[in-house]
Amino acid sequence: MGPCMSALSLDRYIDFRPELSRRDGPAPIYVVCSPNRQVGKTMLARLLTEHYLADARPVAAFDLADEGPGLADFLNRHVTIPNINDMRGQVQFFDGLIESADVPKIIDLSHREFANFFTIVDKIGLFEEARRRSIEPLILFLIDPSPVAANTYGLLRRRFPGTSLLPVRNLTVAKGLPYGASFPHGSTLVVSLEMSVLGPAARALVERESFSFLELGERTWRYPDVSARTRSELDAWFRRARFQFREMELSLMRERILTGLQ
Amino acid sequence: MERPAVILVGADKGGVGKTTVSRTLLDYFASRRIATRAFDTEFPRGTLKRFHPTITDVVDVTSVPDQMKIFDTVESSNAQVTLIDIRAGLMTPTLEALRDIGFIDMTKRDELTFAVFHILGPSIASLDEIAETSKFLLDARYFLVKNFINNTTFFDWDERTYNSYFNKIPHAVEVVVPKLSEMACEQVELSAVPFATFIADKKANGEPAGNSFVLRGYVRHWLNNVFAEYDRVRLLDLLQAQDLASKLRGSAKITELSPQRANS
Repeated sequence: MGPCMSALSLDRYIDFRPELSRRDGPAPIYVVCSPNRQVGKTMLARLLTEHYLADARPVAAFDLADEGPGLADFLNRHVTIPNINDMRGQVQFFDGLIESADVPKIIDLSHREFANFFTIVDKIGLFEEARRRSIEPLILFLIDPSPVAANTYGLLRRRFPGTSLLPVRNLTVAKGLPYGASFPHGSTLVVSLEMSVLGPAARALVERESFSFLELGERTWRYPDVSARTRSELDAWFRRARFQFREMELSLMRERILTGLQ
Repeated sequence: MERPAVILVGADKGGVGKTTVSRTLLDYFASRRIATRAFDTEFPRGTLKRFHPTITDVVDVTSVPDQMKIFDTVESSNAQVTLIDIRAGLMTPTLEALRDIGFIDMTKRDELTFAVFHILGPSIASLDEIAETSKFLLDARYFLVKNFINNTTFFDWDERTYNSYFNKIPHAVEVVVPKLSEMACEQVELSAVPFATFIADKKANGEPAGNSFVLRGYVRHWLNNVFAEYDRVRLLDLLQAQDLASKLRGSAKITELSPQRANS
């Protein structure tokens, strides 16, 4: 994120959205994951989904969490709950991921479904097929200090060598955790993803199941009890998150252009 | 130097997956660019022919003219491999016929390679078939195939009983065909194309088929596992000249069957 960037320049940067929404090329598949719980997967998936919604861009979000509150509890109008434990559900879900390539897909993957999901992905060759259709799969991996996280990250890196694997640092659980050896950046995309710590009041608010970052800004009457300070904190927090997502999208576009030139 | 090979795929019991295994073998040889022809003995309707129509003839293996059509042309045919998918109940009679016409003696003189893929069912009757079949096959490559494609559990088998049959045939090699999801299996059946064509998302006429990517992925994964099994038992060595084949005969190791492998 760009902490030195002023609020004004951040606004202007985010307002590049018309160009982004008109961009050519298939939209990415984001897999938000970690083998551990309580590391911020659903929060990241919510931010990413609302990032697209904020630009009035189409987005398809999928809740593969098996315990609440999940992505569907916060954004139920935009989220599908797939079932990947039977073949019919797998066909519906995974075939859908690579169809309608102009719609970005966001998967909130629970720690319990983690192994099953990646086993299926490996067997059916989802990431290879996606790339064959110029759809970029991006694995957004919430890092944390546990050995399981580091081992699993290494495993994904070895198992899916051509796929962008991006460590995401949620400062609530991974403050001071070095990326270096345990979570090396596994992507050609030049982007660093981080979620900063929220104050207690803001945190309590975002954990309400009906909470939406967009609505906080656009339908203020729905949050009459929120103080100006908390409102301002959340607004800045959402903007910082969006700035990073925008960087990620721009980096993806740059990669596409470079690949096209080659 | 290469030499022709005749591969018999059969079992006396029905519904154990003979045609499925035949189809994987045809795909395997095609992937290795080995010219192959096939005979479907499900006379007159044919089953294998539905999937591989251009290289398959439906024959009545009990009739002399059709036996001539198959065996008199083994060496003159352009195909290096002749695969015969034997209908249920005809395995032993076919082997008897091959013995009677002197075909099995030809294999003793190393003029060609003869291999049998014996598809085993879960019942004890399948084990009795091994004893019945093996007496014809002292000079043939003998593959005992445990076919898990339909999630068969070989529950009837006591491991010691199985081994006692298995060990009577020193050159027998066990092959495991892993499970494939029922839905994927069903879709390939409906498509009536080779597995490789289904994976490539093509119809029989070469047009795009629009099959599910997920199902194609599962079939590809499964077929790769089957091919790996054929590589493990050195199937292509069947086609090598005898001096090399002799060295390799019996060298394929018989591996313990683990549930993980069977279900992979």
